[in-house]
Amino acid sequence: MSPGDGGPGPASDPRHRWHPIAAVDDLVFRHVYHGKLLGRELAVWRADDGFVNVWENRCLHRGVRLSIGASDGRELVCAYHGWRYANRTAGCTYIPAHPADAPARTICNRTFVAVERYGLVWSAEDPEGEAPPEAAELAGAETLVLRNLPVNAGAGLVIDGLAGYDPESLAAVARRTGDAAALQLGDGTAIVFFVQPVDSDRSVIRPVMTPAPPAADRIGVLRRHSAALEALRKNLEEEAARRPPAEPMTPALEQVPIHLAELPEPSPRGRQAPLRVRVARKWDTAADVAAFELESIAGQLPTFQPGAHIDVHLANGLVRQYSLTNGPGQLDRYRIGVKLEPESRGGSAAMHHTVREGDVLAVSEPRNNFPLRRNAERTVLIAGGIGITPLLAMAQALHHSNLGFELHCFARSPDHLAFGETLDRLGDSVTAHLGLSPADTAAAIARALEGRSPSDRVYGCGPAPMLAAVRELAEAAGWPAETVHFEYFANPTEIDDSSSFEVALARSALTLAVPAGRTVLEVLRDNGVDVASSCEVGACGTCSVGVIEGEPDHQDVYLTSAERAEGARMMACVSRSLGPRLILDL
Amino acid sequence: MITLYDYELSVNCYKQRLMMAILGVEYTSVPVDFYPGWEHKSAEFAKINPLGHIPVIDDDGFMLRDAHAILVYLASRYDPSRLWYPVDDPCRLGETAQWMLFAEGTTNTASSARLHDNLGYDFDIDAVRAGAHKLFRVMDEHLWFREREGLDWVVSGAHPTIADIALFPDVALSEEGGISRLDYPALRRWTDRVRRIPGFVTMPGVIALGESPWD
Repeated sequence: MSPGDGGPGPASDPRHRWHPIAAVDDLVFRHVYHGKLLGRELAVWRADDGFVNVWENRCLHRGVRLSIGASDGRELVCAYHGWRYANRTAGCTYIPAHPADAPARTICNRTFVAVERYGLVWSAEDPEGEAPPEAAELAGAETLVLRNLPVNAGAGLVIDGLAGYDPESLAAVARRTGDAAALQLGDGTAIVFFVQPVDSDRSVIRPVMTPAPPAADRIGVLRRHSAALEALRKNLEEEAARRPPAEPMTPALEQVPIHLAELPEPSPRGRQAPLRVRVARKWDTAADVAAFELESIAGQLPTFQPGAHIDVHLANGLVRQYSLTNGPGQLDRYRIGVKLEPESRGGSAAMHHTVREGDVLAVSEPRNNFPLRRNAERTVLIAGGIGITPLLAMAQALHHSNLGFELHCFARSPDHLAFGETLDRLGDSVTAHLGLSPADTAAAIARALEGRSPSDRVYGCGPAPMLAAVRELAEAAGWPAETVHFEYFANPTEIDDSSSFEVALARSALTLAVPAGRTVLEVLRDNGVDVASSCEVGACGTCSVGVIEGEPDHQDVYLTSAERAEGARMMACVSRSLGPRLILDL
Repeated sequence: MITLYDYELSVNCYKQRLMMAILGVEYTSVPVDFYPGWEHKSAEFAKINPLGHIPVIDDDGFMLRDAHAILVYLASRYDPSRLWYPVDDPCRLGETAQWMLFAEGTTNTASSARLHDNLGYDFDIDAVRAGAHKLFRVMDEHLWFREREGLDWVVSGAHPTIADIALFPDVALSEEGGISRLDYPALRRWTDRVRRIPGFVTMPGVIALGESPWD
């Protein structure tokens, strides 16, 4: 098959056809290439994992070109206000002006497909077929990409002109196809000139030659063709200048992808698991800790931010939360770690004993109630046992942004240290504290919290007694409560649900009675008012609701003491009312 | 100690700041009210430079004007490695002079377009923009073939020269004069390489690449 043959003819909409947008060589290490196709500007970059990103060239914040931003190999950072966008998804992972907030899922740039073939990068707005059609002339032998040449002339004019290309009088036989001119030269070589339609009056000639000349002759061949094409370009541009100017192409700018803009259907069914993932790998990463890599079955896994977790819905009906341990931009697979709890109620035991490689799991989209602020001069991460998981994602994000951090891992023995291979890559920033007594642990935490400066931050995740120690020691060392952040595995509080009271929903104009033995969340769902939830034991913060009036009986471990005292939020899963009535912002 | 008669938004003054930062040369900056004060055209400033333009340096009494001449002086005087101004290699020295003259062209086209758009200078904007594109096409082709030979800079050899410093600001700020670099991918990659030179500093409109951990 030849370029353009077989596929849609030149008369069809060019947005459905594949076009070259760059040479593979253009995408050098951590460079952001500035491209344009059919009037649409593109930012094109290769991430360190090899993935070629083709994005609409505008930041969703102020519309500035992302091609002037910087790639750190995992994420692209906008040059204006530092918004970060993840490899693969183009989802926003961080907004420096709002360091305490996880960016909304709607902040996701438009992405386009990319395929590498013949040494060129191909893309399309809405392609027919999974890859560009094959060019018969280029089948088999080794190819060489000649120097590309931008021309101030429309693609049709350029392709016509190329059909007469024969600088060395080699009796070239030309064959014009849809978006290219293919030349068979008398000396046995062939050149296919793919023409990239940049705009109505601009194109780029991207020639590919076969067979590739011997290495010693290459520069000479490249120079000869470059010079000959320059001469051809001069004629084409003179011809184009004589013609009446064409209307510039106006690409449609999509505002927000539909699947992100639509709110999920409210339902009383509670926790949703819209994603299906396959267990691509399961291995023992430490004593009693199984690690899982989960890959998407269809489409791209959604963007996550460091600190985020997913709900895993198990076959036995249980729902468990596991933090993503991935580094920034690692969106080919989600990686989680699961500790086998000796008193497992069935969650960790099912993950360890029942789930195998190849199994399909239902999981939620990532949710982040433990966001990482990147405006600290020093970030102290304190991990107890399996509490390493969210902090590992944070540590990798800080490492890749060259931001100072210390990761303190407390574990019983070297065998209990999970994800050692990732910890090794973080170098001197990691300190392992192994086999310490509670008193020695407290002393080590106290040392880690020494020397505070005002912009420093602490993040702790681990067993409840350890987090209580961190909270106490940080307070004693003068850390304000708002600079110390926690994620609990579970809520150690014995929930007292003996009270009965009334909740008035200000926006829904509903008043509901919450009897003893039932939670606010259950009563809301029974009445068709859905609130997102995850752990449902007062640890994760997902079901936080606004309190307009009344005094909540908190019982959770998510809110800080200052937030509790303020009384403006409560967790619908465990919090109740101290008085007869609460007014909620629902 | 060097005194630089300086204007923050001037590409030619930035060339000196960039060179001195890379060479680790300390200097004092004397701000000249170029716009809107036109201080460089004042009778007072005529005593410093009768041509009425900046930059001018005063290195302990030695006065020198003209951006590209000052670069020659700074590299010759303050770069003991003799790599930035390669006087020991006739071919590379010749190439350096050639690209310094080319940089006069980029200043008179790309940076003139910027003065027209930003400060309202009376230039034939279409002509200076067309002139800049003509030069950028030549530079892009040159740098594309340099890459094929495994070379990073405008002058042959493994080390950048004052020619890269002389050309960089005119290229990096061209968009401010309405000159897109969309058609010059090799030129864009070269601006990345310049921005990764140790000691690199920015000016308004020139964006740092940020540190890049090469892991």
